[in-house]
Amino acid sequence: MSTEQPFKISVSEDKIDLLRRKLDLCVFPDELEDSGTSYGAPLADIRRLVDYWKTGFDWRAQEAALNAELPQFTRDIEVAGFETLNIHYVHQTSQAVGAIPLLFVHGWPGSFLEVRKILPLLTAVSPEHPSFHVVAMSLPGFGFSQAPSKKGFRIAQYAEVGHKLMLALGYNEYVTQGGDWGSLITRMMALQYGGKHVKAWHTNMPLGIPPPVTRPVSYLKWLVTPYTAAEKVGAQRFSLFDKQGRGYFIEQGTQPQTLGYSLADSPVGLLGWIYEKLLSWTDKYPWTDDEVLSWISIYLFSRAGPTASVRIYYETYQSGDWQHLQAQRPSIPMGISVFPAEIEIRPLSWYKTSGNLIFSNTSHTKGGHFAAWETPDVLVKDLHKMFGKGGPAFSVVPGKTGYESPQAQ
Amino acid sequence: MSTEKPFKIAVSDDQIRLLQQKLSFATFPDELENVGTNYGAPLSDIRRLASRWKEGFDWRAQETALNDELPQYTRAIDVEGFGALEIHYVHKKSEVVDAIPLLFVHGWPGSFIEVRKILPLLIQASPEHPSFHAVALGLPGYGFSQAPSKPGFKTAQYAEVGHKLMLALGYDQYVTQGGDWGNLITRKIALDYGGKHSKAWHSNYPTGLPPKLTANPLLYLKYLFTPYSEAEKALMVRHEWFSNYGKGYYTEQATQPQTLGYSLADSPVGLLAWIYEKLVFWTDNYPWEDDEVLTWVSIYYFSRAGPAASVRIYYEVQGGDADRVYTQRPSIPMGISLFPKDLKGQPKTWYETNANLVFSKYHSEGGHFAAHEVPNLLVEDLRTMFKKGGPAFGVVSGKTGY
Repeated sequence: MSTEQPFKISVSEDKIDLLRRKLDLCVFPDELEDSGTSYGAPLADIRRLVDYWKTGFDWRAQEAALNAELPQFTRDIEVAGFETLNIHYVHQTSQAVGAIPLLFVHGWPGSFLEVRKILPLLTAVSPEHPSFHVVAMSLPGFGFSQAPSKKGFRIAQYAEVGHKLMLALGYNEYVTQGGDWGSLITRMMALQYGGKHVKAWHTNMPLGIPPPVTRPVSYLKWLVTPYTAAEKVGAQRFSLFDKQGRGYFIEQGTQPQTLGYSLADSPVGLLGWIYEKLLSWTDKYPWTDDEVLSWISIYLFSRAGPTASVRIYYETYQSGDWQHLQAQRPSIPMGISVFPAEIEIRPLSWYKTSGNLIFSNTSHTKGGHFAAWETPDVLVKDLHKMFGKGGPAFSVVPGKTGYESPQAQ
Repeated sequence: MSTEKPFKIAVSDDQIRLLQQKLSFATFPDELENVGTNYGAPLSDIRRLASRWKEGFDWRAQETALNDELPQYTRAIDVEGFGALEIHYVHKKSEVVDAIPLLFVHGWPGSFIEVRKILPLLIQASPEHPSFHAVALGLPGYGFSQAPSKPGFKTAQYAEVGHKLMLALGYDQYVTQGGDWGNLITRKIALDYGGKHSKAWHSNYPTGLPPKLTANPLLYLKYLFTPYSEAEKALMVRHEWFSNYGKGYYTEQATQPQTLGYSLADSPVGLLAWIYEKLVFWTDNYPWEDDEVLTWVSIYYFSRAGPAASVRIYYEVQGGDADRVYTQRPSIPMGISLFPKDLKGQPKTWYETNANLVFSKYHSEGGHFAAHEVPNLLVEDLRTMFKKGGPAFGVVSGKTGY
């Protein structure tokens, strides 16, 4: 018996009222002179955004637009060893009956919202490219999905939710696309459910480890192959992240509750915390204030509250899953798209060590961490190349090549 | 022309009102079941404290008590390249005329309040032990001291403020005591002003350096062949815990202090949790009373520069600034006290590599906030170090403490 319910975002007036009151009482810190973005999210930006939040930003309009564009649902998903969680998701089928079922998995500080721009592109029908049935779930503890109430909800559990959701929707065989936590979660799905259910996976934030000494040919090749220019830039970017950008990761990975009091209580604090990443992880993406505030609002108005969303870091960091999962190599075909302003870019040989690489595009000259948002066309084009006729993952899902003509009305 | 003015803490009614309003609208997160303190400050503690802060906690009473107990002042201290900063400090002289002038330097999330319990002990006159004239500096950006407005206010600048304050108070020669940032800052004072002005220094949060065979052969051999004591081992385990699991706040403050600052400035509950977590994790089961905690946090909340200013020091000392201070060896005598629940522990020989160590003691109780947790133990160590027959007796000319 399906528990699926259609869902429309409908934030209560109380919550909006409370937000207004908090913004009215908002206290800003000062800022050191001429410090730019070196010390964190710049004060001028935050002041401007708060001002707009108070006087111009129309959440109801954003809410209505989201509800109009994104067909949303909730349903209960059982998770072994945990309670049944009520999961929120976007589900849009293509008009092509034989479209490829695709699960899109977001990360932090993203959300289901990240599917917004790629949704029409993925579901579009054309003889020129494959079409997809798209499912974009809100991870447990994010957006309008319930959060687990017990500790120990690890990557395996997130993967279980994603997989069971696809099965529940009638997609016994499917492919996945993910970035940020979506990359690690879809990696786990490939490991746990690959072959039988997950047929191929694509990520825009590939992870991987150096070829081990035990694979001498790859190892030696890695040692002697000079890094490409892009790889060098990537290494520099990572070095920068390592030196400047890890604070959130370590705090969220060790004391998420402590941080959580601030995120729960201060809209401005939450805004600063997330906005800093929207700036530093993107390729000069021209964020509009409406875009930023919509992203933040999803966290502020989330079902479980913003604190729940950072616990994934604790569970992954403390358990060692972060390193452990990257050292494994799912056997199903993997595709990657690498964007120049991504947080970290590793040598191609590392990606090959940790995945069965059959498609890669590492020659993008624009774009960053939130590929589906920043460069939706480009990301979808890569998926078209990977899954389309003549592509390396064509027809991975038997009978669903993505080209079947639309069902007669 | 002295710019010294007597100072009494007098938080405005408006500030208190705003705090009350924010607390009345406070939104709390949920918490996972049965996690204790593993994920951070526990929800029940924070709820209870926030509730008390809103109703029950009497800031005015605390303010009055602080004003009564701690003679406070402000004065302008000129810092090269930064202009004059108005610095807040506690200054109390012993009745012993030749008491040893001592500068006490706090850290984060501490403040001048950390001198509260040791003050009467330091100035106490007795033939049995030395007395001190005590100066407790409020670091720029903390408590009621002005904060710098430009980037680049590094260890040397904090040291300059401490040193110039002592000179301004007529203490041409003095000794220092510091923990947390106070360790780094008094180390810099020892390097830059040691010998001529700073005559000896004591730290309860020392940072040592591994001895090198070529540079310190005897010490190196000592390091290789001396087994660790139980106390050393315990602190080294603590150090590892801190490095792997306790540095989230540090990493954020050292890289994105402004980002964090929005939360600390806007949410009293957020600030409370951020600090309370350390008051619990960094102490040796110290039985904090709610009002004690709230007073500490209120000093941050009501601080002159706001709480965001206090975390910038973490950013400024990165990139080698602190390291350069640790890799040099002040020549003046140093004493150290190690407390088991502090955060840093290295082999004892390492403390001898980069310091002229004349006194050391490992304790079996106490943590990071030694002056607050175990004031008697800390002062006892200072007395032992500076007393007649002690290794730092008479370092300050004409001021033996008796």
